[in-house]
Parts: sequence; C-alpha cells; structure tokens
Amino acid sequence: MMGPGVVGLQQTTSYKVVVPFYIYASISLLVGTVLLLFHTDLFHQHHFTPYTLAITHTMALGWGTMLIFGASHQLLPVLISGKLHSNFLAYLTFLFTGIGIPLLVYGFYIFNTGWILKSAAVLINCGVILYMINVLLSIYHSEKNEVHAWFVAAASIWLFSTTFYGLLLVINFTSSLLPRESVTYLSIHAHLGLIGWFLTLVIGVGSRLIPMFLISKYANERNLWWIFAFINGSLISFLVFKILNVSPEFYYVSLIMGLIGILLFGNHCRLAYKVRIRKNVDNQMKISLLSVLQMIIPVAVMLAVLALLPSTKNQNLILLYGFCIFFGWITALIFGMTFKTLPFIIWNKVYQKKAHKGKTPAPKELFNERVYQAMSITYISGFIFMLFGIIFQKDFFLKTAAVLLLMAAVFYVYNSATIILHKPKKQ
Amino acid sequence: MSVYTNDQEKSEIALAGLYQVDDPEVGLNIVDLGLVYQIDFDDAKKKVDLIMTLTTQFCPMGDAITSDTRNSLEESFPEWEINVELTFDPAWDYTMISPEGKEFLGH
Repeated sequence: MMGPGVVGLQQTTSYKVVVPFYIYASISLLVGTVLLLFHTDLFHQHHFTPYTLAITHTMALGWGTMLIFGASHQLLPVLISGKLHSNFLAYLTFLFTGIGIPLLVYGFYIFNTGWILKSAAVLINCGVILYMINVLLSIYHSEKNEVHAWFVAAASIWLFSTTFYGLLLVINFTSSLLPRESVTYLSIHAHLGLIGWFLTLVIGVGSRLIPMFLISKYANERNLWWIFAFINGSLISFLVFKILNVSPEFYYVSLIMGLIGILLFGNHCRLAYKVRIRKNVDNQMKISLLSVLQMIIPVAVMLAVLALLPSTKNQNLILLYGFCIFFGWITALIFGMTFKTLPFIIWNKVYQKKAHKGKTPAPKELFNERVYQAMSITYISGFIFMLFGIIFQKDFFLKTAAVLLLMAAVFYVYNSATIILHKPKKQ
Repeated sequence: MSVYTNDQEKSEIALAGLYQVDDPEVGLNIVDLGLVYQIDFDDAKKKVDLIMTLTTQFCPMGDAITSDTRNSLEESFPEWEINVELTFDPAWDYTMISPEGKEFLGH
C-alpha cells in the first residue's frame, strides 16, 4: 500500500538541464583536439594568432566552461544547501552560449573581426549574465551561506567580468574603444577567466566534494576562507598592477598570493585524503587529485616567465602556461569529475523508480572501465609528450602528443555517449 | 549507530530488507552507512514510519535512495502503509557509519 511521498525530500536539478552541457562539452573537446592536431605549428609562433585564439576558446568555453556549467547546475544545491533558482534560466544559458561559442571560435579561426565575433561575444555575455543571475539568486534563497557559496558567487561574477572584458576587446579590434591594441590587454582577460572563474570555482567545488567523496573526517572552514582571500587577492592585485602599469617585479606579489592559495588548497586536499574513511579511492577521484597537483605546473611556468623576462624564450613559456592550464589542469579535472557525476545523473534518470525492483547496475558500471583506463593513459602520455614538444620545440613530440590527446578525447566521448545512451536491460 | 524502534521483532524484518538498499555512490547499504535513524510500527493502523537522513541535504541521489527504501519496506510489509521521512537534525556524519561499514570502506 502506498503512503504519501517522502517528507523532507529536496528536489535536485533535473537531468534535462544538465546533460546538454555535458554533450556540448564532449563535442568541444573533440573539436579542440582535432584543431590542435592540425595546428601544432602554432607552438612555434606568437601566442596571439587566429588558430591559438580559436583553440583556446574552444577549450576554455566549449569544453571547460560548458562542462562546469552543467556540473555546477547539478551540484549547486549540494554546495549552497539550497535548490537551483531556475531551470529555465539554465536552458537559456545553454541556448545563448551554445550558439555563441562556435560563432566565436569560427570568427577567430578565420579572424573575422566584424559581425561574427561581435555577435558571438554578445550571445556569450547574455548566457553568462543569465548563469550569474541564476547562481546569485539560488545563493540568496538558500538556507546557509557557507564559504563554498562565496566561492561559487565570486566565480560567477568573475566569469561575467571575463566575458564582458572579452566583448570590449572584440569591439576594440575595429573601433578604438580602449587606449591601446587588444593584444595588450589579453593577459587581463585571460587571468580574469583562469583565476577568477576556473580556479575560484574549482577550489570552491573541490573543497566541498573531495572530502565528501572520500568521506573524510577533515573539515577546516577557516582555511577555506584564507584560500578565498589569497586567490581573490592574487587576481585583484594583478588587475591593479596591470592598470597602474607597474614594473614586472610587482607581479611576483600576485603570483605568490596565488601560489599560497593553491598550496593551501593542495594541503586541504592532502589532509582530507589522509584522514578519509573511504580507503579504496576510485580512478575518477585519483585523476581529480592528479589535477590538484597539476595546478602547480602553470604557476611554476609563470615564475619562469617572470624570471626570464625579457628573454626570447618567453613565447614558448606563455604557450606552455596556456597548454598546462587548458589541456592539463582543467582537462584532468573534468576527466575525473565527468565520470564521477554523469553516471549518477543518468542512473538517477533510468533507475530511480526501479530501485529494489530487480537487479540494477551500480552507477560506475554505466561506462566502460577499460576505455576509461585507455583514456587516462593516452591523456597522461599526450600531456607529457606535449610538454617536451613545447619546451624543446620538436615537431615529432608535438604531433605524437596531439594524436594521443585526440585519442583520449575519442575515448572520453565514447564513454560519455555510453553513459548518456544507457538503457536498462530487459529483465 | 543503532536504529531506534518500538518493535524489535518487526524492526529486524525491516532491517533485513534495508541492508539490501545501497547508497549508489558509496556502494554501502544505508543501515551500515548510518542513514536510518528510527523505524516505528503501528499494528492497529498497519503503518510503518521510517525516519532517515542522507549524507547531504540536497543529495542528487536522494530520490533514488528514498524510493529504494520505500520499495524495500513495501516488500517486507505488503499491505502496510509506508511513511518515509527525511530529517537533517541531526545531520549525518562519518561517526554514524557502523564498524562493519567502516570495514567495507577499507578503514
């Protein structure tokens, strides 16, 4: 006999909101790695070229941001102890950014600085504004505002700052909106996105989810506030130094603040790992923890950039810096988190009402573990080969690395599709 | 953590079923995970009241876990009215995992 529904059960975000972002991101990864394969010669050139801009924005927006949009719509309730304000706003975010991103990438690829880039930037900004409103209203209506909510709120505001600044740079290509050429301001745009959006959000989400998945005894909210202060302080000081046009030595201050924030976060994860109840850590968590270590590489590269200023080797190092972030840290993190979140979203959709009514597979059985292993191996080896290729400027390493990364992307898409298309076996 | 009940005998029947209900993320059953707080039985009204929690309030798997719990109780007590109530007071933490649960997790 059926009783009433479950008292006290909070509705979480619908899979219909989340899954399109995952599909979009996986296609973007494939496009990004194909573009990389055809344009490995860009590692011999200046970082401000059409192809570099096209690949960077494919990876930053199509891959990293779209997947994080999807995951954050799903995980926001866990982070802020409140439900997502609006599914409709999330659909609109997908619509606007989903149209804007390929336009932007195409605009950069053919370097059309006219209507293509401008309309793309406007569309992306519309999507990002709606995302920011959705996040901020969700937090405003939530029961508790813990430190994680502050990370997410700050990240969404920084994201809007990034895309709005990007719009100004695009307009500045054809109209003299800013005092100097757009390339001069590129580092501000890039760091608003990298530190403000990606790093702030990843630390906010990671500091909540990593101890949760490990069932760790460790909790230290004060430490997280310090991390929040260091990361945001690092970015704000960088922006101030850029605006004041100070000598390069000043940037060590921002870099060291950022480094302290990252090290504190790394230590937070280490302590959480050390006192975990769940000793058997799955592969998805292992690759996510690897991404925490990978955060250090771009900082080390940036220290080298500053130390070697104004050496001609800097071009190489700047490309290495960008590669380590987009194909290193962000990609590893997403590889881990996709297979930690997507199987549960689909499992919930397919088996939620079938639970305890016949045998159901575990969520982790929704994807092929061997394909996941192959993805991890090709990805890690591709990443290492590319580091050698960029540092030593060897085409053999660059091409081999690009092939390996493309293979990793194919394995990723295969496993993502396997999960998304999963159907229950007939009993 | 022990489960409070007003009927030890029926509680054991209920728990035997609930030991088969896993938290899909952890892979551990909800009893050893410490999610089940209380099971009360009303023989006159043929009603089961179960109070439980989730590892986090907005757990994405919450619907699945509570559906599974309800289905299990319906199997154990057919023709009875089943009420499943979630509470977050007290909130779940790792100290609620049973020794068997900790062993399962490799602790």
